[in-house]
Amino acid sequence: MSEQAGGLLGWIDARFPLSKMWRDHFAEYYAPKNFNFWYFFGSLALLVLVIQILSGIFLTMHYKPDAELAFASVEHIMRDVNWGWLIRYMHSTGASFFFIVVYLHMFRGLMYGSFKNPRELIWIFGMLIYVALMAEAFMGYLLPWGNMSYWGAQVIINLFNTIPYIGEAISEWIRGDFVISDATLNRFFSLHVIAMPLALLALVIGHILALHEVGSNNPDGVEIKKTKDANGIPVDGVPFHPYYTVKDIFGAVVFLAIFSVVVFFIPDMYGYFLEHANFDPANTLNTPEHIAPIWYFTPFYTVLRAIPDPFGGFVGMVLAIVVLFFLPWIDRNPIKSIRYRSVLFKINLLVFAITFIILGYLGLNAVTPLYSQLALRFTELYFLFFVVLWTYSRPHGAMFWISSFVILLGAITLYDVFMNTSEYPELIWKTWIIPAAFLVVTLLLPLFPGLGQEKEEPARVTS
Amino acid sequence: MKVLAVALVLLSTSAAWAAGTSMYEKGSFGKIDIDLSNRTSLQRGAKYFVNYCLSCHPAKHSRYKRVADDLGISEDLMKNNMIFTEQKFGDLMTVAMKREDAMDWFLGIDPPDLSTHVRAIGPQAVYEFLKTFYIDETRPFGVNNLHLPNTAMPHVLFNLQGSQRAVFHGEADENGREHPVFDRFEMEHPGVLSEEEYEQVVVDTVNFLAYLSEPAQLVRKKIGIGVLFFLAVLGTLSYFLKKNYWMDIH
Repeated sequence: MSEQAGGLLGWIDARFPLSKMWRDHFAEYYAPKNFNFWYFFGSLALLVLVIQILSGIFLTMHYKPDAELAFASVEHIMRDVNWGWLIRYMHSTGASFFFIVVYLHMFRGLMYGSFKNPRELIWIFGMLIYVALMAEAFMGYLLPWGNMSYWGAQVIINLFNTIPYIGEAISEWIRGDFVISDATLNRFFSLHVIAMPLALLALVIGHILALHEVGSNNPDGVEIKKTKDANGIPVDGVPFHPYYTVKDIFGAVVFLAIFSVVVFFIPDMYGYFLEHANFDPANTLNTPEHIAPIWYFTPFYTVLRAIPDPFGGFVGMVLAIVVLFFLPWIDRNPIKSIRYRSVLFKINLLVFAITFIILGYLGLNAVTPLYSQLALRFTELYFLFFVVLWTYSRPHGAMFWISSFVILLGAITLYDVFMNTSEYPELIWKTWIIPAAFLVVTLLLPLFPGLGQEKEEPARVTS
Repeated sequence: MKVLAVALVLLSTSAAWAAGTSMYEKGSFGKIDIDLSNRTSLQRGAKYFVNYCLSCHPAKHSRYKRVADDLGISEDLMKNNMIFTEQKFGDLMTVAMKREDAMDWFLGIDPPDLSTHVRAIGPQAVYEFLKTFYIDETRPFGVNNLHLPNTAMPHVLFNLQGSQRAVFHGEADENGREHPVFDRFEMEHPGVLSEEEYEQVVVDTVNFLAYLSEPAQLVRKKIGIGVLFFLAVLGTLSYFLKKNYWMDIH
């Protein structure tokens, strides 16, 4: 498209940067040519956002934010509204898929160091999107006014009660009442359908503008802008349109196929996407047998439960999210991509991914003596990941590794001796092996040079 | 607030206790096989539902007309044989009984709405519930239930099934406390149906309730297959489009 287009486009371009925006963000936005599978999830997250907004608009046309009517209005959508069941299942399945996609998108960032200089702000915007998304999902979950909606919200909002002195005032302020009630439902509806979506859209624009300012990272962690041809175009870049638009269309179709399998064949996903207890209306006198948050919150719920002191648990849960914001300043290693980092870095990241899944599993299940110890151990692993990541920022001497090992394992052991509340000493010592083994691998093995060895980064992308 | 909190704790612990100490092995009365393609079974189930359940249990999110349309029941047949009140064909399947009266009559329990409750507990639970009523003179309605001990619901199908007595034997748990374990049922007054016929009544009723809990089930899988077929074609085309565009990139 040339600068001096005539006709309608020329008329618009003289008044609004339409062609310029198209060029800046699509036709002449050069993305590295070596994106792999993991790079689908950014555009897929955008696709899910669109699905949620569109299906949400139609749900809002029929939903009634009133404690007396909400549950029945959802059933009205499921039965009497033409295609209402499809719209509702798209929205409920979309919520879970949003988190699946976002978790994979974030993991991609961890693998290829996409949060590092100069992309710190992209990461921060992304984390803000993630937090806004959690708020959006939490408030949306109350709206069907099922029994799990009601009691889940009751439990989560009561977490604020644990804050000393002002806690109860805060949770009352959030609810607008002493318990979850019509007032809570109304404000959550308002926040869910307008406040949070606006915030999300603004943050997504910030996320993409920041990305397009510095350019995309890639699986090699190479800055493609460093090698340009005579016209100033990155040699390893391809125009986003048409190359990545056609590629992302294919990714979107594959995604929609998986999405459709859930929507049409297993919309409640065996009680994980739509919890069974939520098909009974909210009942203030009848708690569900086992209250578990919806699956995408359970890793953090486990961190909360792992710490016996209520306020301590609340702080631990908040820290588990807040620590992610600081990732660009925790992992200071100049090498971006996992491809050129040490074997030990790969082990640390793999253990982190497994830890996150196990924390999620534990959060879905009722507490047993064993599970409560495992929750503690994997919470320790969750936070140790960041400590180990920080130590891998640069080479260290033997003294550093040994003293780090002794300090961290000592701290964990002291916690067990003085603060572990488990009544089963055997469980304490058996599960103590989990963080101990992790620290032996991640902090003592660097003493053997081969395992801590990093590879030479290439100057150009490799494939 | 404190009283309420204590009550909640008591309620939740007693519910957990009841759930944890089942007197029989779940599933030992057979597994329900939900077959929504069996229209005659759904129609019979609808008949049993309006005759035996709907006088106390509402299905207030479902309309008579929707059930008639979905199950192939004509408007006249529905109006004359399945709507016993002054309600209209397009009305929701509510019950005339006042909720306060229901609470009075059924030990403080409001009979749950069957258009959604079945989806919360699952059809297998309803199936076992309907099969495990037994005579218990200590209960207000003279019957108790294995699946839901001390249920507030009378055995509304007793003239079909008959009245059976449950035989228990004592067994000590790990703490040495004796508790009853279910052995077998013994029929005391046979009903008008044989065991097989009653089984069919229960299967049909539960089948209908499974349909009623989510009417969209009748169509959504069929539509899903169409959608997946469309996406397979679109996916193939978009794959080759991508391949074609990327041919010159190395």
